[in-house]
Amino acid sequence: MADIGYIAQFLALVVSVYAAGAFILGWRGKHPALLSSARNGLLASCGLLTISVASLVYALVSHDFQIEYVYQYTSRDLALTYRLSALWAGNDGSLLFWAWLLSVLGAAVILQKREVGKELVPYAAAIIGVTQTFFILLLLTIANPFQKLPQVPADGMGLNPMLENPGMFFHPPLLLAGYVGFTVPFAFAMAALLSRRLGDAWLIVVRRWTLLAWLSLGLGNLLGAWWAYVELGWGGYWAWDPVENAGLMPWLVATAFLHSIMMQRRRGILKVWNMVLIILTFVLAILGTFLTRSGVLASVHTFAESPLLGASFLAFIGITIVSSLGLLYYRSEELKSEAEMESLVSRESTFLLNNLLLVGAAFTIFLGTFFPVISEAVRGVKVSVGPPFYNQVNVPIFLAIILLAGICTLIGWRRASLRNLVQHFLWPLATALILGIVLFILGIRQWLALVALPLCGFVLFTILYEWWRGTRARHRMRSENYLKAFWGLIMTNRPRYGGYIVHIGVIIMAVGIIGSSLYGVEKEATLTQGESMSIEDYTLTYENMDFYETESKAVVTATLLVSNQGKLLGRLLPEKYFHRSFEQPVTEVAIRSTLVEDLYVILVGWDEDGTTAFKVLVNPLVNWIWIGGVVLVLGGLIAFWPEWRRQPVPQSAGKRGE
Amino acid sequence: MGFREKLVVILLIALLALIPSRASAQTVMGISKKLICQCGCTLVLANCTHSECGSREAMTALIRDKISQGWSEEEIIQFFVAQYGEQVLASPPKRGFNLMAWITPFAVILAGAGVIYLAIKKWTKRGRQAQIVGAPESEEEEEKYRQQLEEELKKFAERSFR
Repeated sequence: MADIGYIAQFLALVVSVYAAGAFILGWRGKHPALLSSARNGLLASCGLLTISVASLVYALVSHDFQIEYVYQYTSRDLALTYRLSALWAGNDGSLLFWAWLLSVLGAAVILQKREVGKELVPYAAAIIGVTQTFFILLLLTIANPFQKLPQVPADGMGLNPMLENPGMFFHPPLLLAGYVGFTVPFAFAMAALLSRRLGDAWLIVVRRWTLLAWLSLGLGNLLGAWWAYVELGWGGYWAWDPVENAGLMPWLVATAFLHSIMMQRRRGILKVWNMVLIILTFVLAILGTFLTRSGVLASVHTFAESPLLGASFLAFIGITIVSSLGLLYYRSEELKSEAEMESLVSRESTFLLNNLLLVGAAFTIFLGTFFPVISEAVRGVKVSVGPPFYNQVNVPIFLAIILLAGICTLIGWRRASLRNLVQHFLWPLATALILGIVLFILGIRQWLALVALPLCGFVLFTILYEWWRGTRARHRMRSENYLKAFWGLIMTNRPRYGGYIVHIGVIIMAVGIIGSSLYGVEKEATLTQGESMSIEDYTLTYENMDFYETESKAVVTATLLVSNQGKLLGRLLPEKYFHRSFEQPVTEVAIRSTLVEDLYVILVGWDEDGTTAFKVLVNPLVNWIWIGGVVLVLGGLIAFWPEWRRQPVPQSAGKRGE
Repeated sequence: MGFREKLVVILLIALLALIPSRASAQTVMGISKKLICQCGCTLVLANCTHSECGSREAMTALIRDKISQGWSEEEIIQFFVAQYGEQVLASPPKRGFNLMAWITPFAVILAGAGVIYLAIKKWTKRGRQAQIVGAPESEEEEEKYRQQLEEELKKFAERSFR
């Protein structure tokens, strides 16, 4: 198996290099035969990488411990699902997965029937081929997943038990798919620059590709947060760890890009800016892969370390930045904006500010992530940049972003007069105000909650108000009933209304984040059997401790009887796992989750004399984060979903740039 | 008109809420949220869940000890800084070189806002020269808006903008 996989990788390299070269030679379209051979080459590389992945998967499933990777990340007692997920548990496997995904996307780009942007495909395919070549080169040299051991061990070392969680089955591949996915919009952007077809075509092609990668990365991040919450067992979901940051940065910049391409398509402005954004997104995505996999920055996530790999990534990033920005500079004359605006206050302005703030937030996170390195280089002093920094600096930025989302909904394109401003803002503002007063009366006193929650209410209301106005307009104009009118409204412009649904998802998540971060309560207690502790309205009585063994681990379970204001709620069973193959015990938290709050119990430790230490947290509104995430993904899918209706082909692709 | 007054009221309420409702009692938890665990996990002390963490217990015990001796939070934190250096702090202190980390994001955003302001001004100027349109400020504003919305919807349906 190892040989098949390795040989397939090698052939994939040869074919990718050929395909990229042939695309470059033939991209002006003078040699149709060359182009079609290049297409076949890229498709073949996809087939070959599929063979590689399949042979690694087969080796993982069939316990082929002669392959070092299989030995390192699996063992005989590992469940099938986690033997499969071992594909992305380690460095080499996840890079193979990366390269394979990219080749699949490349094949999709080639095979997709398209009216718009056909001329861009050879250029984009060349860029994809080059990127793919880089990753296959890594696989063949520094990060070979098919490396053999001198003799065959009897059993493998097993997967890190913390990774044995359903979240871990989906989180890494989604995250990686997000990172990989940004290659396609980047490739089309470069294609537009190279071919000087700088009109609408590349934007049309790129929007849905970006949306797909953005959704995947967003969902990946969210699942990561969920995994941290239920599995890492410290009671939180986001630690501003360098690797988490790495996943958030490209997502934020891509969010900005998704908004600002609307401006270019509508108003013909921000042409250079959009190029910069997509280059930045791609570079940050590569940086994300690099941070996860290099161990440059100390992090709990970094499951692999290799300086050579780091150097290669840095070189690739450097080359990408220099060449793409160079090309952009070279073409900048053709990217002059055709903009004209009527008013300082308009939807365009809010979009510009939104871009600024999203990129500003990404910059803040970048600075925080690399500040320890900067500080050590400049002052020689090690510092840590942790949650207090990110929370303090980012909170005002994120609040401003939310505020803009509300304002933007109310302001029309091109211009907004003071009169219609007042008219449109009156109700949403009044609602926000009332919400603020109600919250104050209910006893909310933290100023951040009193600012942020009405803000969320404001945005939600503006969206609902906008939907109401649109529905009413349809109802009046077409005399449809309200339900049908509303449905028709959403369906006629899915990108737009999908976008609004995404905004609602973000608002719901924001409420969850505000609630859990401002009003979380935690308490530690050492109890003997029969003793109780109370936190908020909950009373927890420690009943007993159990011990049992499974094939792979020993488990200690504490049983706690939980009641709320005297009402019995049931039992919670926090556990600790002692795996045979890993020294570190793993904490399995017990969570009682409702829409209002989570009761989160951690078994900390125990003594010979039977006293047991618990850490108990009450985290309000955490479920809102996951619900908001689901809404966000739903909205994203609505915006992404293709229109099945026949639609007129947009006028000549690339008309603007030529 | 309600618009501005309402804004003022919102701001006033926000100001009211700025008055801290309770003095934050110094607790082991509170302090351990401001420190980084020194076992190499790079996590905030309060969040470190490594079972075999070498330093969590010692650090937490030390905090508990100092609190019972009547040390203030600031003193305890300075004690840790003296022992481990600045890296023990969960975020860089807001002074000296470290200020850069705190200020640069806002400076960059402000500079960006300046650039955007200038750009919009330039574009508006161009726009005004290109066409002079009277602002619709009549009673039929609502009606016009509805029509515009409908037009937009139609346009979207036809030449779907994506």
